[in-house]
Amino acid sequence: MVLEAGRIYGILGQNGAGKSTLMKILIGLVTLDSGEIYMDGQRVLVKSPQHAADLGIGMVHQHFSLVDALTVWENVVLGDRSNRLDAARARTIVAEIGGRYGLEIDPDSCVGSLTAGQRQRVEIIKCLRRNPRVLIFDEPTSVLTMEESEQLFAVLRQVVRDEGGTAALVSHRLEEVLQATDDVVIMRDGRIVAEMPTSGSSLDELARAMVGRDVRLHTSDAHHMRHGAGAGSDVVLRLSGVTVTSRRGGTVLDGLSLTVRAGEIVGVAGTEGNGQRVLADVLSSLCKVTTGTVEVGGVAVETGRAGAMAAAGIGVVPEDRHDSGCVLDMTVAENLMLTSLDRVSSRGALDRPAMRKSAERLISQFGVSCPSPDVPMWTLSGGNQQRVVLARELSVRPKVLVAAQPMRGLDVSAIEYMGDRLREAANAGVGVLLISSELDEILHLADRIVVIYKGAIVGEMRNEAVDMTRLGMLIGGAT
Amino acid sequence: MNMVLRSAIGRLRFGSDQRELALLYVACLVGALLISLLLIEFNGSSWSRAVNALVDGAFQSPGRWGETLRRTAPLLVVAVGSSVATKAGIVNIGQEGQLLVGAMGGAFILTLVQPGTPIMLVLGIALGAVAGALWAGLAGVLWYWRRIPIVLSTLLLVYLASQMAAFTLTRGALLLNVVPGEPNRLLQSAAVASGSRLGIIEVFGNRFSLSVPIALVIALAFSWLLSRTTWGFRLKVLGLNSRTAQRAGVSHFRYGMSAILVSGAMAGTAGAMMLAGGESQYKFSSGFSSSVGWDGLLVSLVARNSPILAVPVAVVFAALRSGSMFLSVAGIEAVLVDVVRALLVVALFIPPAISELRRKRRAMARQTERI
Repeated sequence: MVLEAGRIYGILGQNGAGKSTLMKILIGLVTLDSGEIYMDGQRVLVKSPQHAADLGIGMVHQHFSLVDALTVWENVVLGDRSNRLDAARARTIVAEIGGRYGLEIDPDSCVGSLTAGQRQRVEIIKCLRRNPRVLIFDEPTSVLTMEESEQLFAVLRQVVRDEGGTAALVSHRLEEVLQATDDVVIMRDGRIVAEMPTSGSSLDELARAMVGRDVRLHTSDAHHMRHGAGAGSDVVLRLSGVTVTSRRGGTVLDGLSLTVRAGEIVGVAGTEGNGQRVLADVLSSLCKVTTGTVEVGGVAVETGRAGAMAAAGIGVVPEDRHDSGCVLDMTVAENLMLTSLDRVSSRGALDRPAMRKSAERLISQFGVSCPSPDVPMWTLSGGNQQRVVLARELSVRPKVLVAAQPMRGLDVSAIEYMGDRLREAANAGVGVLLISSELDEILHLADRIVVIYKGAIVGEMRNEAVDMTRLGMLIGGAT
Repeated sequence: MNMVLRSAIGRLRFGSDQRELALLYVACLVGALLISLLLIEFNGSSWSRAVNALVDGAFQSPGRWGETLRRTAPLLVVAVGSSVATKAGIVNIGQEGQLLVGAMGGAFILTLVQPGTPIMLVLGIALGAVAGALWAGLAGVLWYWRRIPIVLSTLLLVYLASQMAAFTLTRGALLLNVVPGEPNRLLQSAAVASGSRLGIIEVFGNRFSLSVPIALVIALAFSWLLSRTTWGFRLKVLGLNSRTAQRAGVSHFRYGMSAILVSGAMAGTAGAMMLAGGESQYKFSSGFSSSVGWDGLLVSLVARNSPILAVPVAVVFAALRSGSMFLSVAGIEAVLVDVVRALLVVALFIPPAISELRRKRRAMARQTERI
């Protein structure tokens, strides 16, 4: 891969394609195992971020590396290796760089009180004051509004033109890559699969290259595919116009609507950070919606009330089971009974033997390997913890099963097991909502695919009639 | 000696984790005792005399173990209450104030209603429990309504409680016992009506009130409630993982509030029972709580929130208190007992902390291995 001076490069790829790793190598956070990097014809070895900065490589991170409690100028000079703190000089730097690139900001305001867009300005100023010749942006627009993004691209363009540097824009949003870059580099599975000038490429082409898939995987899936599953059966879950506004004022779900029918697996595709986490939280009673309704089996369910979703018949295998799926310091048996206490108690008194018995039944039924139902949950491996969660959620015969990134962190056999169980559940008439940022998983399991982008469902298709180009475009946010 | 200990403990068939923990406990307690003894020696007295005086004061001298038991009861009740709150993940540290408010509430019935009857006794203790619960509930409301940290509010409410108690003792219309013809130098209430007093048990000259068996019953009852009821189960889930609790239908407000109210009620009960059981001659005064609330909190911390374990721990703490009275007689500063107690508490906290750290580190190591 070659980066020429005076051009802006878009690095495009799905989650896990290797974009971030590549960029981390460039700024010295990750050392390469083999291969070479040349700058101006000289071979370089980037040893550390500090070294990268000396070489003239700067990065603006996706997650801001700012200290909330400090002011803007303090953040800008943070990490300087001089003994004297020259406030006046730092303020001048902020004002000067801000003036030159249209990044005006008050050097004395406290970073904690700034909006996401303003924080990014600070981050960029911090980066620019070292006069980098290679500027890397990691998903810079994921936290920005439309307007802020456009401003950012203008700045980028100016920096590259004036300083004769080069910029790399890591992204999985197709449109902004088309709009803001000169060249596109597309990555997949840790390799560069395509390089082209932006002007000569189209949305279709980019989408296909980004999602691109070998036919082999697809045909081997064919026998799994359950044609027409769910069509015509009752709607068990209906979300209408669900909007969630976060405390910071951002809209994390934006009028999201979707339905799940009994016996079908609906896959929610999309790159991470488009509202999947909040969607699962809403369905776990962990989050109150601002507007919109959630109906289970045609009955509206109050959102955010403890246990309401579970009582209405929504089982959830959460993305992070330690966060909301299990209690690590309680026993396996106790974890298995979390949502069905009523069945092992009478008039408020727990029936420990009954609890143990049903736990033992579930343990053998779901093949959880543990020495006894009375060992603490944390002694189990991740795969077995996941089985416990799945066993509990399916044991109460839910109408809907939500599985959020259920294969993450599991080994191959555990992944296969999880897939089989989800299919089994669907065959038994449960409506399954599979939320995953791994497109493979979704294509492998789902009957119907919906795409989530910026907190809304932007498109839908059946798996047997999947159009990879369109799917890629939807995931990349192109309409 | 260490070798002998190690092999002795090794022969007990513990898991290696438990063996490690047991060794740590022994090492820390020995360390704390050593430091205590050194402190006593440096203060110019001999440690053997100090230990003798302590044991004499707590158990050996005539009537002393009754005194120790008398002091055990309120410590135990307070400790049981605080373990309920801690189980639910709520850090209530205002037992001192809740106890004082409970005693004050009890005093309104016990000292003012004449003549006393057993019904008034029950009502008085019940009012004490309600007063303690409300005082703690105030902190709960502040948390669930305005997100004011419970640690802070319960702590600060202690100071408010003592001001309030002092105020009730400035007015004859409230609790102050106005003695005609005498200037009221003693700001205290009238004595509890004789019919409303808790019965006194006397064994071989050891006198303690009925509050001792009552406290034991309370400890047993809560041990059962916490481990064998859905309420206890849900409190535990809430305390260990509040998001999982929310998802599984454990309402934070309902269960959290119930835990706060119960812990306050127990502190209040302890206060009212102290009054009805004869503490400071059955009279309520503003210093009435005399740190029993703080000590009860420590008992529950040391007993790691187990109501059953709290029984022996409360006895030890009470013994240190009743024993300390004999220290000054032996010419040793009684303050040393506080230092010794603090050292013991710290020593008992170190082992679980260390084993937890080691557990985490091992888990981390396993994870990095996998990667």
